[in-house]
Amino acid sequence: MPGPLLEVHDLKTQFSTPEGVVKAVDGVSFELNAGETLGIVGESGSGKSVTALSLMRLIPPPGRIVGGRVLYDGRDLTKLSESEMQGIRGESIAMIFQDPMTSLNPVFKVGWQVGEPLMLHRAESKAKAFSSAISVLAKVGIPSPADRARDYPHHFSGGMRQRAMIAMGLTTTPKVLIADEPTTALDVTIQAQILELLRNVNREFGTATILITHNLGVVAGMCERVMVMYAGRVVESGPTVDVFAHPKHPYTWSLLRSIPRLDAERHEALRPIEGLPPDLIDLPSGCAFHPRCTFAIDRCKRDTPALNRVGDTQLAACWVTQAGTELRDA
Amino acid sequence: MITPLPVDEPHVPTAVVVGQGGRTYWQEAFGRLRRNRIGIASGGLLLFFVLVALAAPLLAAAFTHTDYSTQDLANTFAPPLTPGHILGTDDLGRDTLTRLLFGARVSMGIGFLAVMVALTIGAAVGLVAGYYGGLIDGLLMRFVDIILAIPPIFLFILMSILFKPNTISLALIIASVGWGSIARLVRGEVLSVRSRDFMVATRALGARDVRLIVRHLLPNVLHVLIVFGSLYLGSVILTEAALDFLGLGITPPTPSWGNMLTNSQTYFFHSRWLVGWPGVLIFLAVLAANLFGNAVRDAFDPRLR
Repeated sequence: MPGPLLEVHDLKTQFSTPEGVVKAVDGVSFELNAGETLGIVGESGSGKSVTALSLMRLIPPPGRIVGGRVLYDGRDLTKLSESEMQGIRGESIAMIFQDPMTSLNPVFKVGWQVGEPLMLHRAESKAKAFSSAISVLAKVGIPSPADRARDYPHHFSGGMRQRAMIAMGLTTTPKVLIADEPTTALDVTIQAQILELLRNVNREFGTATILITHNLGVVAGMCERVMVMYAGRVVESGPTVDVFAHPKHPYTWSLLRSIPRLDAERHEALRPIEGLPPDLIDLPSGCAFHPRCTFAIDRCKRDTPALNRVGDTQLAACWVTQAGTELRDA
Repeated sequence: MITPLPVDEPHVPTAVVVGQGGRTYWQEAFGRLRRNRIGIASGGLLLFFVLVALAAPLLAAAFTHTDYSTQDLANTFAPPLTPGHILGTDDLGRDTLTRLLFGARVSMGIGFLAVMVALTIGAAVGLVAGYYGGLIDGLLMRFVDIILAIPPIFLFILMSILFKPNTISLALIIASVGWGSIARLVRGEVLSVRSRDFMVATRALGARDVRLIVRHLLPNVLHVLIVFGSLYLGSVILTEAALDFLGLGITPPTPSWGNMLTNSQTYFFHSRWLVGWPGVLIFLAVLAANLFGNAVRDAFDPRLR
């Protein structure tokens, strides 16, 4: 088996603000294999989106990648020049965004926009890119695509726009598709359709997908592997089935108990995670989760745990589970 | 070959089907403009002035059979409706109608040229400043502040002394002040458009800065340029007439509405029409430009809807 498609080593992205340095991404490492779907979950501000934008080198100022490597196809993306990076974006790695209502340029016909990557990367003429766009729109399930390509974004519903965004990402058949909360702005039935579409894209185009979401249900249905982020760090990763069945980090464990499940006992209460997400400027000492963790031991306040193997298939950054303790209700 | 993915027809919103003959922003804006009677009338009047300006030599040859500098000293101060001089003659017996026709060339030529130049420079500066932000934005906008802080009349006088005024140089002189406000407006609009998701999404497709600015930002701020440009036209026509009147713009023998006023003010008490004709034309041109500008703003400014 060949090496991973995308390797991220110790990625650090920080924002310098007047209040201090925000460590939005603080040493994230992961791998993405060809054709797989990786889920990145975490609450707001956990660094999911900034991780994705860092891979594309699209961090808005005052944000900056301050360390780490992103290896794609033998090249470190963090070291490429801006024009080399422009050759990667949209060609090898495509990204779709959270809000399809604002992600399309309102003044252009949808077909023109969907075909734009072909004009950029394949030097296709406007007319040829437009007809290619029509065939991609058909593949993402836009009915009568030839007519719809001549429409403007405001003629499209949210779900259709997200389909168009996905089509735009697919025109160049990229190796990696980063989907940053692609269904968050959509209602539930449309969500299901868009996820189904992403699954099909992954299967038929062989596109490796990074799915960023805060919805654990979406991860369970879509992703082979999952990575849980907290306060800019990866706290746990592994095959989705294992992580969901036997979480090895107290944060994942609490997260899973805080959402409703069909197989729960009738009167079983949901248990929210006590406390608030930490301030990224002034992180707690040691493990950033220790103030909210029911399992915390003294060492958690002093030393920051590294992401290490716990169990057969999972990695977790936790002193407690690394020491062999099982996570159970007290 | 990839087969089309399944589509659940019931989920296709009916609104989209209704929107099949959907109209673009531009179609809607032009539709609104067409329905504005005052706007269309004043636009028509402006167009009339432009056509007259373009056809001035032909019209002179066809109707007045003279040119603007031919003197007829036996026939000075002829009142309107004098045979051969429908609008009368001036102190040197020159035909007033012919001079007004050629004067339209100055007003319209400088008016449109100055608007074009100011829009081009203002748009370029505003786009660059707004898109890049930071130091570039700071430097460009401080420069705009400096330009706008200089009293324009002082600048006009200085530049008229430095550069011999002709149609082109005068348009450039007037535009050299006007672009500042446009740059500010465009920059403001760019700041709001730039932060919209499609700019990041387009960057994520691998688009370069130049493409993002020219292909994606510019069309989104075009309405600002259209609205400001049409409102600015009236002020340019008025400024130009004022400069001519003060002797700082187009000078005789080339006729302009402004310098015809200067020339005729001496004779105000015995030949009022000599003041009246150019004065009325300046008034009408500026009024038409402003009313048309308002109509364009009502039609194109998305905030007024």
